[in-house]
Amino acid sequence: MTAVPATNDAGRARSGAGLRPLLRLLVPVAIVVAAWLYMGPEQFVNAMTRGAIYALIALGYTMVYGIIELINFAHGDMFMVGSFVSLSFLTRLGFSGAITNVGLLAVVIVATFVFSMVVMGLIGVLIERFAYKPLRRAPRLAPLITAIGVSFILQNVVQLFYGPFQTNSPKIFPDTWFLQFAGARIPILSLFIICVAFGMMVALQLFIGRTRLGRSMRATAADRDAAALMGVNINRTIAITFLIGSALAGAAGVVNGLQYGVSRFDDGFQAGLKAFTAAVLGGIGNTVGAALGGFIIGFIEVAAVVAGYGRWGPAIVFGTLVIVLVFRPAGLLGQQLGERA
Amino acid sequence: MKFARVGVALAAAAIVVTACGGSGGGAGKALKIGISLPLSGSALASAGPADKGARLAIKEFTLAGYTVAPDVKDHAVNGVHDPQQGAKDMTAFAADPTVVAVVGPFNSSVAKVQIPISNEAGLLQCSPANTNPDLTKGDAGKQLRAKQPDKINYVRVATTDDIQGPAVAQYGYQTLGLKKVAIIDDTETYGKGIADAFAAEWTKLGGTVVGREGAPKGTTDYTAILTKFKDSAPEAVFYGGVTSTGGGLVRKQMPQAGLGDLVYLGGDGIQDGPGTTDGSFINIAGEAAANSFSSVAAIAEYPGKADFDKKYQAEYGEAPGAYSASGYACAQIVLKAITTAAGKGDITRESVRAAATDTATTFDTVLGPVKFDAVGDTNQKIISLYKVDLTAAGGKGDWIFDSQVNYGN
Repeated sequence: MTAVPATNDAGRARSGAGLRPLLRLLVPVAIVVAAWLYMGPEQFVNAMTRGAIYALIALGYTMVYGIIELINFAHGDMFMVGSFVSLSFLTRLGFSGAITNVGLLAVVIVATFVFSMVVMGLIGVLIERFAYKPLRRAPRLAPLITAIGVSFILQNVVQLFYGPFQTNSPKIFPDTWFLQFAGARIPILSLFIICVAFGMMVALQLFIGRTRLGRSMRATAADRDAAALMGVNINRTIAITFLIGSALAGAAGVVNGLQYGVSRFDDGFQAGLKAFTAAVLGGIGNTVGAALGGFIIGFIEVAAVVAGYGRWGPAIVFGTLVIVLVFRPAGLLGQQLGERA
Repeated sequence: MKFARVGVALAAAAIVVTACGGSGGGAGKALKIGISLPLSGSALASAGPADKGARLAIKEFTLAGYTVAPDVKDHAVNGVHDPQQGAKDMTAFAADPTVVAVVGPFNSSVAKVQIPISNEAGLLQCSPANTNPDLTKGDAGKQLRAKQPDKINYVRVATTDDIQGPAVAQYGYQTLGLKKVAIIDDTETYGKGIADAFAAEWTKLGGTVVGREGAPKGTTDYTAILTKFKDSAPEAVFYGGVTSTGGGLVRKQMPQAGLGDLVYLGGDGIQDGPGTTDGSFINIAGEAAANSFSSVAAIAEYPGKADFDKKYQAEYGEAPGAYSASGYACAQIVLKAITTAAGKGDITRESVRAAATDTATTFDTVLGPVKFDAVGDTNQKIISLYKVDLTAAGGKGDWIFDSQVNYGN
């Protein structure tokens, strides 16, 4: 899927008669089918839902890394702030319980997504402008430490306003809506979350692959100076990357609120760690890889519970990461946002 | 430098004593009782009432020739009890010669790091709420007081989880008539300990444990665990842990997993005030909190309750919390020990410690008569059981006292 292996493929394809692309399609399908059979539909959906949230956060990590090679440690906290923005929005509008009117529910959910994503996108741009941009030519460690500082600031600001407690997020999506499917009970909310996440990922792929701005992003990621010489507005491109990454974190925050109904100022740490792992697992800088990594982590965690090793979930996740990095140091799908065609 | 300062303080105290000597009244030798509790953020809901109880007892206390004042130190960091801060506070108390005893801490994990420090300093410590058995009993207890093994300096008025866990099991099995239970714990000292004790008793009674999972603090998604439980059709879920490590979240996610009608059981970790309190179990779980039961390792219907309620209400303008009387009782015990020490001569840390841990002494406290055994555990082995009533606290829900069981002899 990345440029480098693709060239190899092209070389081999002449002799290998297209067997590898087929295998590439078959292996993932086989894994998904095996997971479905092993876990059963309910746990499969649980894993997908969990993975979808990790994936949405991981996208922001990977995009920022791809374009300015910064591990944005504050990104997990952007997700946390996003969940507080969405819960404040809903609480301010006076919602506290489930909304059973489908039309109203749809309007409220869309409004919450738009509000949270716009607010978070703007916060992301502001943070980039004031915290990272001045350090763009500084040694790499400087923005890294700054990112950790931003992470603390975000946590403390949220703690200042909401206290150090778990805060309730209105569960506007009714708990009682579910699909009966082959004896399994699938919450509609989970299906909704999975669809939203996939929708956003596809939109992001199209944006990066098909639009002018997306091309600027790829160009900047590949070679910033060359892109600048070719007339790409670097500052604007980087700002847009932060805008989109942070908006996706905002979306993840909304989804988190709908699904779990509770947020706390330190939620971003765990989520950020998992999402960062997902990004590295998939190949940091690679958006498809980040999404894939998110789902893989979701599946590993749920499979650990199903197998009776739930306590070992985090250990298995990081063990997998180590093994993958030993054999594929660049992650499953390889690095670099920019070289993807 | 430090010694110089202590010297100045002592000299000053001596001058005060000489100056006021014989005149009686309020002024006299200044003593302090340390109060070491987590008193901010979400910890305040459960530990705050214990602090208020202790301060009330100290305020009421008089002893000719002495003034006794509380010295309150909060070891909550980011709103959660912090063992490191607890250790720092205990070191500060140990370094202050006017501190003759400490009331606290609230959480077993904090006690674990404080006891070695107070033991080395020979400083009496009385906890209103610690329930982990390993703090006092057996080899684990001996290790904590390794510096002065023969000098017991830590006592507690709450009984232990090896009684609390089984008490909840007996209530669930015998009173509620449940047979199949699934268990989640938060993998911490208290949570795993109480869950193990609960599981052992449940099996002994003849019940079945159909699932056992652990999920550490910071877990947000319990759907996979709950879905797994559903396959084995439990009648109840027991949570070993506290609200801030997941007790409220598990209950909140149960309806979505199709387990909303199950009974929910827990120890004192989820008994943290009404739904109006930010971050409390009922506040987090909301409507789903119905049909939840919990225990408190303290006596609810204590002999002096009516009087104490009145006094507390007059002082603070609010009703006492679950651990108010325990805080009050701890201070009473410490103060009684100070009085005894004064009667025998000088008030020193050692004389106070010896008076409090004398296994022959019965302390007359607000909780009733309390006696300590050879390792400092109370002979009052009473567990109170509470049930959630969603109509209480103005419709926000609260824990309502159900019954209490005496496991003493």
